[in-house]
Amino acid sequence: MAINGTFPNGSANAPVEASSQPTVVGINFGNSYASIAEGLAESIANEDGERQIACAISFHGEETYIGNQAKAQLVKNASNTIVGFRNLLGKKFSELPKDKSTTSAPIIQHPDVPDEPAYKVQVLQASPSPLPPSALTTKTNTPAVSQTATPRSEPAPVDRILTPSEVATIFLKSLLQSAEDFLGKKVEGAVITVPGWFDEKQLAAVRQVAENAGINVLQLLEDAGASAVTTTAGPLADGLNPDRTQLVVDLGASSLSLTLLSIRHGLFHILASSYDSNIGGDQIDDKLIKFFAKEFTKKTKTPLTVCPSTDKADVRAEARLRLALEHTKRTISASPGAATCSVESLKDGLDFTGTINRMRFDMEARSVYSAVYAKAQELLASADLDFLHVDEIVYVGGSASLPGLDETLAQGVQESTVTPFTAGTVIGGGIGDPTTLLARGAALQAKLLAQIGHSGEDEEVRKAFEQGSTWVRAKATTRSIGILFPEESSDAELGGQWIGVIPRETAVPARRNIAFDVDLGEDGGPHRVGFEVWEVKEGVKVEKVKPPKDEDEEPLDEDEEEEEIEVKEKTIEKEGYLASVVVETKNAKKQKGRWRTRLEVQFLLGADGSVEVSAWEVGTAVSGEKASVSVPPL
Amino acid sequence: MADVLQLTVVPPPLPKSWSPQPPPAKSLSPLVDRKLIAAGPAYLAHVRRAVHNLSFEEHDKHVEEERKRLQELNGDGVGEDDLGVGEEEESPELSLLDPKEWKKQDHYAVLGLSRLRYRATPAQIKVAHRKKVLKHHPDKKAGVAGDSNDDAFFKCIQKAMDVLTNPEKRRQFDSVDPHYESLEEDVPTATEISKAKDPNRAFFEQFSPVFEREARFSRVQPVPLLGEYSDTKAQVEGFYDFWYNFDSWRSFEYLDKEVNEGSDNRDDKRYTEKKNKTERARRKKEDTARLRGIVDLALSVDPRIKRIKQEEKEARDAKKKGKSSSGPSKAELEEQKKRAEEEAKQKEEADKLAKADAKKAKAAAANAAKKARRAARDQEAPAS
Repeated sequence: MAINGTFPNGSANAPVEASSQPTVVGINFGNSYASIAEGLAESIANEDGERQIACAISFHGEETYIGNQAKAQLVKNASNTIVGFRNLLGKKFSELPKDKSTTSAPIIQHPDVPDEPAYKVQVLQASPSPLPPSALTTKTNTPAVSQTATPRSEPAPVDRILTPSEVATIFLKSLLQSAEDFLGKKVEGAVITVPGWFDEKQLAAVRQVAENAGINVLQLLEDAGASAVTTTAGPLADGLNPDRTQLVVDLGASSLSLTLLSIRHGLFHILASSYDSNIGGDQIDDKLIKFFAKEFTKKTKTPLTVCPSTDKADVRAEARLRLALEHTKRTISASPGAATCSVESLKDGLDFTGTINRMRFDMEARSVYSAVYAKAQELLASADLDFLHVDEIVYVGGSASLPGLDETLAQGVQESTVTPFTAGTVIGGGIGDPTTLLARGAALQAKLLAQIGHSGEDEEVRKAFEQGSTWVRAKATTRSIGILFPEESSDAELGGQWIGVIPRETAVPARRNIAFDVDLGEDGGPHRVGFEVWEVKEGVKVEKVKPPKDEDEEPLDEDEEEEEIEVKEKTIEKEGYLASVVVETKNAKKQKGRWRTRLEVQFLLGADGSVEVSAWEVGTAVSGEKASVSVPPL
Repeated sequence: MADVLQLTVVPPPLPKSWSPQPPPAKSLSPLVDRKLIAAGPAYLAHVRRAVHNLSFEEHDKHVEEERKRLQELNGDGVGEDDLGVGEEEESPELSLLDPKEWKKQDHYAVLGLSRLRYRATPAQIKVAHRKKVLKHHPDKKAGVAGDSNDDAFFKCIQKAMDVLTNPEKRRQFDSVDPHYESLEEDVPTATEISKAKDPNRAFFEQFSPVFEREARFSRVQPVPLLGEYSDTKAQVEGFYDFWYNFDSWRSFEYLDKEVNEGSDNRDDKRYTEKKNKTERARRKKEDTARLRGIVDLALSVDPRIKRIKQEEKEARDAKKKGKSSSGPSKAELEEQKKRAEEEAKQKEEADKLAKADAKKAKAAAANAAKKARRAARDQEAPAS
């Protein structure tokens, strides 16, 4: 507090407003990049106008740079720049891999705390300000005492030891400040995303860091959850069922994490997940840097060895290229044309400008794409599924915005699979924008949590969102349930028309309502609709088919062996008969000579495994009588 | 309500041979344990159902109630408090407005405040303006099919904001608000009231809105309004007293002819200014007369005045009756009448006599004058 009890000018505290809706934000706290989003899932830009804020802090003299400005410091001031600190949170020094070479500030053993990692950076510490003249002078004010203030001495260079959690605190504080500056309101709570593979200790560390930064943590939400919230929030994309299997491909700068989610009417759980810190956007960077370095050497006849680089000039050149590549990658993702990469004074004072088109780019990045594809295949196999069962692919992370990755994955999946690229929601902050997806999901979740009341009843509900709550435990079905309309002369294996209602991996209790038209045949009179309820097993049939021969075309090479193509097909196998339902119809209408009516069927799946199937006719004015059967609980 | 998934499949008709099989004793395949991700509205619903032990239908009901409660709480249900500005449909005419003709536009309609008009608070105007800008800013229109340079309506919005946020300009615009202009013509006439089925009710029904409308111009607030039939004499008198001494802030600068600022001719300028001034004064005078006319009219047909007079008369009569307890008898009344008649007759006769006398006197005077003139001529003649 300043003199006479008033606040000094420009106090940075955002005013707390009494509003019916508290201001909450979602923070995506990645290892390389972070982003913030607010309320209606809008991504917030920081003071520099960036929505993708690099997780980097750089100390230069008395200054501290945070975010993308700090990243630029990697060129000249690498030893005082800290990056990739999130993954160190909650880790002991002995647990860290030592062999990783780094271009940023090295991780050392904390000098005071045992087995604690730390960064050592050199900063200029402001020397203490000299005492004001009034303190020196006596009341008599002798002429011997000078009235001019003693000049401040030069700031002294000192070593500063920072633990990862201190670094993260500084960073999160700046994120919070950006959000408050943008919103003009005090942020009252936040949901922070964390990777699914974080253990208890790491989660506790993140929570502690956020609290130190003055953030009221509403929930630590795993990445897959955040992306699922975003993708289930809006209106459903074309061709998507509310019950679907989603593959989340999170290709960040430093790691790849894949998650297979079962989304059942907005309720989701993980079927399988994998994490690989060896595949990431940085690898693509490495390839491209090599590509451009070669081009530079070709153009200027100046040798440039990068990835790894040893010479000091080369290291600096590599850092320059790495920064410039960011822009190149964005251009490649956004437009089908060629993208340029230009660096001034790359090495020996020579400027460099190179272009790369998408094909060449994809060629360079092919190995990374293939690795992702292989990983995805591995993951699906571990969950006993196939690419055919993936209904939707969601991309997360900056590197996942590359269209080439989607093209690679599209080879495996069915054509009906929805990806943000086919849905056209990648660009311009759409639903599927990989760079902001997580933050927006976290913001939506924060809003949801903020809306839960504080009354006694709701307190229990609120607890369900806490870590380790028992409410997340649920039982799920192992077989799909659906209805079968018998047909006399059906060539289908099941002997009739199959409508799947509850897919497998649906958490109970569940309710599904479906409505459809039923054909009643040509003759009038009393009609009835009947169907059977079955449990089925889903599988995949692989057939080897010879490619269709083009007869007009002469084979160029007689010896060429005709390769067989694998054709995969989804199959359904009857597993268990559950019940039959018969409905008498009264509201049938004649259309084009055939009688038709509309039927609504409701499935109620109890927590104990009981099934209640009811069906009724949907009339124009009143609904018809309900016919229902139930299957006993397990 | 439960989401009903609308399917497009059409199952075939039931074969004749099919008959429902008896359900087996078998139930579902065993369930497996899964860990849900604690996120999303569906999880919240799932937990609510589990915590409170609700069935799907009970939960549906609960959600519906909650939704209604929230809707009431938030007014329009648009999240942020918009101070009751709400959303107003934009009529197609609005988009055709020409910002150059801004004097002719209805600023309240442009900002979507035609419901509130002069009642809109500055805060509400700000909210409404923000809403409109968010919707119509040229930046938002960039890339939209059609003429993306068409920012005419946006200019209109800015102009409207300009006028409505400046208290002086707003007062001038409120004075000639086009919305009320048409209403002002619509003042009930005396015959309308008297010919109505229930003139008493018609008076209040027709005049209340008129006075309410005019009240906004008063410098003194609050303004006594028409009131009701059972008002006391003091109230009614107070009402007419106030309205006859109405202090209006209404002025007509808004209708001024544009003074040609660019012109060097100061005479020209002065001429326009002078004309504007007289025009303003004329309009003001007209307006005062108009209001006075309305008040006059109201007074003339006010059933309360009649009622009060009646009551007063009755009170007077009752008083009189109270004085001469029995009151004058019939004989006395007749006598009085006779006396009055006689008096009248006498007066008449006296009048007649007086008239005759006056005639005679006049004639005598005329004769005298004649004689005098003749004598004077005779005297003159021998002299010449």
